[in-house]
Amino acid sequence: MGAPRVPLEPPTPEQKAFLERAMQQYGKATYNFAYRLTGNEADARDLTQDAFIRVYRAWRSFQPGTSFLSWIYRIVTNLHRDELRRRKGRFQEELPEDNAPANFGGQRPLAVTPIEDYVERQLGEPLSKALGQLSAEQRQVVVLADIEEYSYQEIAEIMGCSIGTVRSRLHRARALLRRLVERAQRPT
Amino acid sequence: MMEHLNNDFLIDYLHGQLPPEDDALAHAHLESCASCRGEYEAEAALGEALRSTARAEELEFPSMIAAEIWQQVRDARPSLASQLASLFRPAIAVPVAAVAVVALYFAAPLAQYAGTPAKHVSANYYLEEHAAQQAQNPLGERSPTAAQLIESSAADIGNAADLAEAADAPPLAMMAAADASR
Ligand SMILES: [Zn+2]
Repeated sequence: MGAPRVPLEPPTPEQKAFLERAMQQYGKATYNFAYRLTGNEADARDLTQDAFIRVYRAWRSFQPGTSFLSWIYRIVTNLHRDELRRRKGRFQEELPEDNAPANFGGQRPLAVTPIEDYVERQLGEPLSKALGQLSAEQRQVVVLADIEEYSYQEIAEIMGCSIGTVRSRLHRARALLRRLVERAQRPT
Repeated sequence: MMEHLNNDFLIDYLHGQLPPEDDALAHAHLESCASCRGEYEAEAALGEALRSTARAEELEFPSMIAAEIWQQVRDARPSLASQLASLFRPAIAVPVAAVAVVALYFAAPLAQYAGTPAKHVSANYYLEEHAAQQAQNPLGERSPTAAQLIESSAADIGNAADLAEAADAPPLAMMAAADASR
């Protein structure tokens, strides 16, 4: 990706050990997280690589006793957002947030979709596709809340926003996801 | 009879993010209202579907990522600033600092590069401090201990200054502590 090319400093022995252990233990999770956010392997590779270079540079700012995974997810989330900003204009990546359906109030426009339906009709692919149609922020919040199962508080820290923002983004993202999946399910 | 629960409320309930009173209220309502229960199950099914899709599509960590990163690390060259800073490590700090003071006296513009002050703390202090931290850390044994790291770095370099720096480095041993439960 287009990260600025500030030259790296050679490692100290512990810095090297830190990077080695970080990749060994968290490389796979980080890569899969990046893949969920980007939706393709090439971008996920670039994002993961940039994230570990940041870990290497900033390793001393990691707070012992805190979650390394949360730390690197925060790095990945920031890099992903920056990258999308850079690309904006070239691609129609972003969907405006108010494109999402408004609060349903008391109405129930969506049919009930039991888990068996997702499995039987092999909705994995439509679901991944629907995820790709969300805005970057909506996708991040869904991945963090529903796949990684973080609390709203933890997500707010990772995304650098308020808990209220996490909550409203998740509500909108899920409502939109359900609508998109419903649409994909309907026979054409 | 109370009103039905809206989807936002159900989503917060599903994620265990309601305050206790609301959580109890939601729980009680779902017990008695089939309509809301159906909607709750749909929200829960979406979460399950997201997780099972992610599991099904899980990818291995590509070795090319690590290879590319290590290549960049191998290509790293010390910057002028860090070369100067390294002159101020304890073992060589005193003679070098004396020279530097003289040099700075005559070459004031260089002063900005010497911004990193000498660490006048002995290696022994760091070693003891770190050993004490290790002893308190029950998860420390899951990773190379500070002592091992210090030994290996000492063997590599055999230099008191680097020994101090390695002992100073904090987080490796505790990296896994907070993630162990996830
Ligand atoms: Zn109800």
